[in-house]
Amino acid sequence: MDPARRLGPAQIDVFLQLGVSTVLLGGIYALIAVGLTLIFGIMRVVNFAHGEFLMLGMYLAFWSYTVLSLDPYFVLFIAIPLFFGIGLLTYVLVMRGVIHASHNVQIFTTVGLSTALQNLALVLWTGDFHTVRPWHALTPIRLAGTAFNLSQVVAFLIAIALTVLLFAFMRWTHTGRVMRATAQDREAAILMGIDTDRVYRITFALGIAAVGAAGVLVSPLYAVYPTAGLQFVLISYVVVVLGGLGDMVGALIGSLIVAAVEVAGSYWFGTAWKEIFYFLLFIAVLVFRPAGLFGQRGAENLGV
Amino acid sequence: MAQALARHWGALVIFGVAALVPVVVRDAYFLDSLVLILLWGALSAAWNVAGGYAGQVSIGHAAFFGIGAYSAALLGTRWHQSPWLGMLAGVLVSLAAGAALGYLSNRLKGPYFALSTIAFSQVLLIVASRWRGLTSGSEGIPVPFRPGFGTLGLGHVAWVYLALAVAVLYWGIQVWLEHSRFGYRLAGVREDEDAAEALGIPTRRLKVIAVTLSAALTSMCGTLWAQYVGFVDPFYVFSVDLSVRFALNAIIGGIGTALGPFLGSILITSLETYLRATLSGVKSGFTGIYLIVYGTGLILVVRFIPDGLAGLVGRLRAHLARVHA
Amino acid sequence: MSVAAPGPALLTLEAVTKRFGGLTAVRDVSVEVRRGDLLGIIGPNGAGKTTLFNVISGYYRPDAGRIVFEGRDVGGRAPHLICRLGLTRTFQIVKPFGNLSVLDNVMIGALTRLPSVAAARAEAGRVIETCGLASHVAARARTLPIGLRKRLEVARALATRPRLLLLDEVMAGLNPTELTGIMDLIRRLHADGLTLIVIEHIMAAMMRLAQRIVVLHHGEKIAEGRPDEITRDRRVVDAYLGEEFVLAEA
Repeated sequence: MDPARRLGPAQIDVFLQLGVSTVLLGGIYALIAVGLTLIFGIMRVVNFAHGEFLMLGMYLAFWSYTVLSLDPYFVLFIAIPLFFGIGLLTYVLVMRGVIHASHNVQIFTTVGLSTALQNLALVLWTGDFHTVRPWHALTPIRLAGTAFNLSQVVAFLIAIALTVLLFAFMRWTHTGRVMRATAQDREAAILMGIDTDRVYRITFALGIAAVGAAGVLVSPLYAVYPTAGLQFVLISYVVVVLGGLGDMVGALIGSLIVAAVEVAGSYWFGTAWKEIFYFLLFIAVLVFRPAGLFGQRGAENLGV
Repeated sequence: MAQALARHWGALVIFGVAALVPVVVRDAYFLDSLVLILLWGALSAAWNVAGGYAGQVSIGHAAFFGIGAYSAALLGTRWHQSPWLGMLAGVLVSLAAGAALGYLSNRLKGPYFALSTIAFSQVLLIVASRWRGLTSGSEGIPVPFRPGFGTLGLGHVAWVYLALAVAVLYWGIQVWLEHSRFGYRLAGVREDEDAAEALGIPTRRLKVIAVTLSAALTSMCGTLWAQYVGFVDPFYVFSVDLSVRFALNAIIGGIGTALGPFLGSILITSLETYLRATLSGVKSGFTGIYLIVYGTGLILVVRFIPDGLAGLVGRLRAHLARVHA
Repeated sequence: MSVAAPGPALLTLEAVTKRFGGLTAVRDVSVEVRRGDLLGIIGPNGAGKTTLFNVISGYYRPDAGRIVFEGRDVGGRAPHLICRLGLTRTFQIVKPFGNLSVLDNVMIGALTRLPSVAAARAEAGRVIETCGLASHVAARARTLPIGLRKRLEVARALATRPRLLLLDEVMAGLNPTELTGIMDLIRRLHADGLTLIVIEHIMAAMMRLAQRIVVLHHGEKIAEGRPDEITRDRRVVDAYLGEEFVLAEA
């Protein structure tokens, strides 16, 4: 092995930095993806508008910060119930009608929703790029040769906490069990007397609450503009497909993998090309293992 | 012959009117709208071949559009070739890309396929917007105007007739799909793949053919559009918004019908033109409101009027027939 | 009951086996179908009947054994190729081309053998007549009640001019009148020379239709013979334990 390439302190630092960046980024992707995999897994609906709710979360943080001087982490407490409510409203107005419709109808319904929301933001708030720069976004932390800022750490911690909460809810509450049952077999659930409409309501609302919260959390880290959601939604789809439909643990692991691909890709090839890596990863997964890394072969056709 | 004409009275009216407009109207703005209506209609018809007739819904058709646009622009500006050659190059590349997508359509169902088409068009967008060496990167490529048919440097009236010819061709291809052996079998694939397979239809092959054809047709129009508009911007020609627009016209007009894409285009493009004129003062207001309307429209149409405008017209005719009987 | 003496072997299944993970759905099944036969396959739910059809018609690849149709090994070939070779199947849960008319449905079947739309339309018309669907020619398949959907399923398969037709529980869900009607249709098709394999769960119907019956249970062939032999077979009675009323009807 080329002596110049043997792992020395400098290289270890680089790997450590990449590792930390990956984990921090992965946590955020996990929060976004977990909501999406719930919706996809339980309702069998592909929500193309998922990124727009993230964008709305970012705008909520921005306006709260700019107009009311509220720190995003404070806004989070309002955002979660607010987006839960928005999710309920969206479900009742838009999603409920197409739950039993064909895939094409579902696809175009959520695509239409995505377009409408993006442009609502455009009309209301213009296409200007905004930033949210509370004190913690400018506070660097240096630890063992790695550097990151406080916002990233807090975002990561809160994202993980919320994801764990969601996970616990699904695992240990009655409602969570009912939701999982519906995911496995819709017809059986109906026959067992499960109110599937209620399950879908809660699922969608939770999913939107999660992604809205994620939007608030990432607002100090990314620019805020009407189409900000697009890149995130595509990433979250890669995560969801990688981890397997409806598999929350899979979503967590998938988030780390995607984050790793993005971080490594941008380190070696520059940030301009980083997006291409997860798209290529996406296409590769779709071609070779559409059920995900952990899914059973053929699972991608369940309910499709 | 008379029967065929009667059956296609709608197309006759629409294309006939379009043919007569330049004779009567000389306003450049109006003619420009007409060209766009026809081109968007044709693009949606191309999408319809895969999405409507074959049932393979793609939200990434901008990929082929962009390939067509860039082929002509690149061949024109770098190697000074005729845009017709560029069109051919674009078609060849799109045939390959379309076949690849067709392969994916055999492996992936419904929403998974749609997602893969988005990823596909986004990869092309990133390559086009970053590879400065090849495509001048994010700045895009201006397409020079050189008068003449060989360079597609035409006046407004000529463009109307060119666009009309393309529109009629694409309409005709769809009508062929409705009456040909290939088209009938494709309908079987669309309705129920397993059943079609059991009846001796090579479903995989037919899907690939349909998607590939759709890709080539989209690419051709991409070339024309680039020459007409005069500028190729990677963020536009490969965008998801554009892909959605192709589908939108077809859905609103009547998915899986020959005239649907054109009906949809007439409605949507006219709406866009109207809003653009009315809201031209507001900075982002126009684009935003127009797109909110079409996003909401998509939701409503897909849910409540799945057959689109063509379906409405059909039902109206049936109703009138009953009333008069 | 048979019209002519059975001809040469049309379809031979040799020790066909199909597994799904740990479950063996079809185990070591061997059957011979001769030209002109009307073979019945019966068995309790989950016996592997439809799986066997899926293997024969190419939707599943057999894990072991051979499937020989007219001298050709067709195991694992694509379904559409097997249809072109002369073997067509219908589906237990009918799969009509919902948005298309009855005529279009059957035409699509006819187009497998005929190169022109006009010829296919004429052929479809004849098949529709044979199957008693003439008064519904223009109806959208989606609007048909189950009895007519089953007929459509048969008509569409028939339009592909099969030499061997596999009917999967075509009688399920029919009322007595519809049942008689479809049994008449099957008898007529058989009398006209078509070789048929019929899966059914309703013993009574099978007794009156089939010349020879194969009984599947847990994926294995437990009995084969004439209807009267089958009903007396100990193993068959045991398999249908709790469903004696079904046997009693026969």
